[in-house]
Amino acid sequence: MTGGYDERCAADLAAVAEGRGLSREDRAWLARVVAGAVRPNRDKPLWDLAHALAALAALTGARDGRDLVTLALDPGLARADRLEASFSGSGGAVDARGLVLPDGERSWRTTWSGLARLLALAEFVLTAEELAQFATVTGWLDALAASPDREGAAALSRRLARHLGAYRQAHLPLAPLERRFRAILAFLGGRRTFTDDDILDFWRGQMRHDDRPGFRTVAEHFVTFEVASALLGGLLELAAPASLDAQDGWEDRLDASLADLAAAEPAEPLADLLAGLPDGPKILTGAERDELAEFFRLEPFHRTRPLTTLRAASFGRVQSGLANRLRRGGGGAGIAERSACAEAEPYPALAERAAALSAHLDRMLRIAAALRVPAEAEGLSPEVGRALAAALADIRRVRRAGFDDPDRLAAGFAAADAALLRLAEETGRLARAIAGLARHRPLEAAFAADRQVFAQTFAQAYAAEATA
Amino acid sequence: MSDEARLLAEIHAARTLMRAGTRDAVRRPGVGALWAHATRAPGAPVDLAMMRAIRDDPETARRYRALLAGQAIAHAPHAVAASDGQVTARRVGAFTLEILPATEDAPPLLVLRGVGARAPRSIEASLGDETVRLALPPALDDAILVALDPAVPEAARLGAMLREPACAVFLL
Repeated sequence: MTGGYDERCAADLAAVAEGRGLSREDRAWLARVVAGAVRPNRDKPLWDLAHALAALAALTGARDGRDLVTLALDPGLARADRLEASFSGSGGAVDARGLVLPDGERSWRTTWSGLARLLALAEFVLTAEELAQFATVTGWLDALAASPDREGAAALSRRLARHLGAYRQAHLPLAPLERRFRAILAFLGGRRTFTDDDILDFWRGQMRHDDRPGFRTVAEHFVTFEVASALLGGLLELAAPASLDAQDGWEDRLDASLADLAAAEPAEPLADLLAGLPDGPKILTGAERDELAEFFRLEPFHRTRPLTTLRAASFGRVQSGLANRLRRGGGGAGIAERSACAEAEPYPALAERAAALSAHLDRMLRIAAALRVPAEAEGLSPEVGRALAAALADIRRVRRAGFDDPDRLAAGFAAADAALLRLAEETGRLARAIAGLARHRPLEAAFAADRQVFAQTFAQAYAAEATA
Repeated sequence: MSDEARLLAEIHAARTLMRAGTRDAVRRPGVGALWAHATRAPGAPVDLAMMRAIRDDPETARRYRALLAGQAIAHAPHAVAASDGQVTARRVGAFTLEILPATEDAPPLLVLRGVGARAPRSIEASLGDETVRLALPPALDDAILVALDPAVPEAARLGAMLREPACAVFLL
């Protein structure tokens, strides 16, 4: 997926996530807070952070900002259980569940796991932009340590909100994304569902604009729209002023739903699984990995929208070829030639490859099982035993690097088999989805029709460069 | 709701950030470990691997200095003046550092004057690969005095480094 942040932002987040060993959920929370995907008030986490730091300052008798920085950066305090072990029962600023900044009825509180997240956010604001703002933020913490109360916390939270606002301005260029989503909302005219052809039509409309977005990029927006819209429709209504009193805990429910949307981002594991396959036996070649990554790029569309997946794989590649050619100012086929889509990969060929990859991964999976469970193991049914023995015998027929060395093979598969299972499953779903599509929309005809549409769109959009 | 496109954009960015790999992340000391090193007490055992990382990796050195500067009462990151000769006095923020020459019966003396939010508790000088950190005694009559005793290697080294214009100084 593309857009919405720069390299610096990704690196800043990754440094905090890795240094603290954040769980996937906490990483998603932090990404959401940094991007501002928090409602009803995107600065609420900073308000909470300022109060948590005030409570910690009071609890630990912090003398200055330095002491608070030490608490925020200590990897030994990165987890809820460590925080609880260090601070529970240590005084007035703590209750049975976590930290409290006492103020009668309006006391502020958080749980230990909430505190662990907030400290991750503290590390982020301290260390962002390669520590460029470290001294400034430390200075603010000096002020908080001098008056660790609600007023001090409120003052700090205002500073942090401005600070993160400026960071978003600099590193999260959301305006183009927002424009595109606004255009999608207008295009759908209030509809929450869309078809493959809606995606194509919308993209064709966008290609008349100057930025000529990639088909894949546009499809990625539809992925987000699809996962988010069902939830958001209901929840944003819920957050409308009229219903606030009627709905208990709507803030928490909204937050939980947003958390799901960020954390349920599923393709990272698939991409990671592909990248993380061990170097040992060549279970997948580099080319095969690239192909799978291309197919999974629009997850979950590879199982739900095979036509858009095929369009992205076939014509998305043509378009990135065009864009690269324009960027480089030369090399390879010319613009007019590329625009004609002569090089586009036909859908039947893509279907065949998806099926072949699926069959290959199933075969690898059987080998993984055979390496793990001896065919003569007790309690196996005769068929299973025979299948395992056959898979074991099959190893000799695999003509790939590393399959002739039994020790390396066993170690390699043992390290890969969880990833292999998931990849095989998803590739199977892709192949079945394409086969299902082919039954009611013959792929050859679909490809021919699409090629005309894409070629025409490219020809119009790149007309100036084609004749230049 | 008019906010919907904005929220979709933010969700899209958050989800994309979740995918952003850290594939080519270089293994570097974590900021927590660097901070522990930057705030160590003078004379406390130092983490040699950390010293090596700061010496060998310019990026780690830069982050270490940013952490030092962030907690320093005053610091002078680089050369004080375009001078080839040795310096015997320099300004570090609101402080002045002066080295009084040795006399017959006393080693050179580092005199530190000035007013900060609080009195500095230690001084760190770094020059090239080399770093020396020394505890500072409480002030006497508005000045902190440190004997740069040749018999104390760290003190002697500090004196020599401070005389170099390119030496960076942090008052902590």
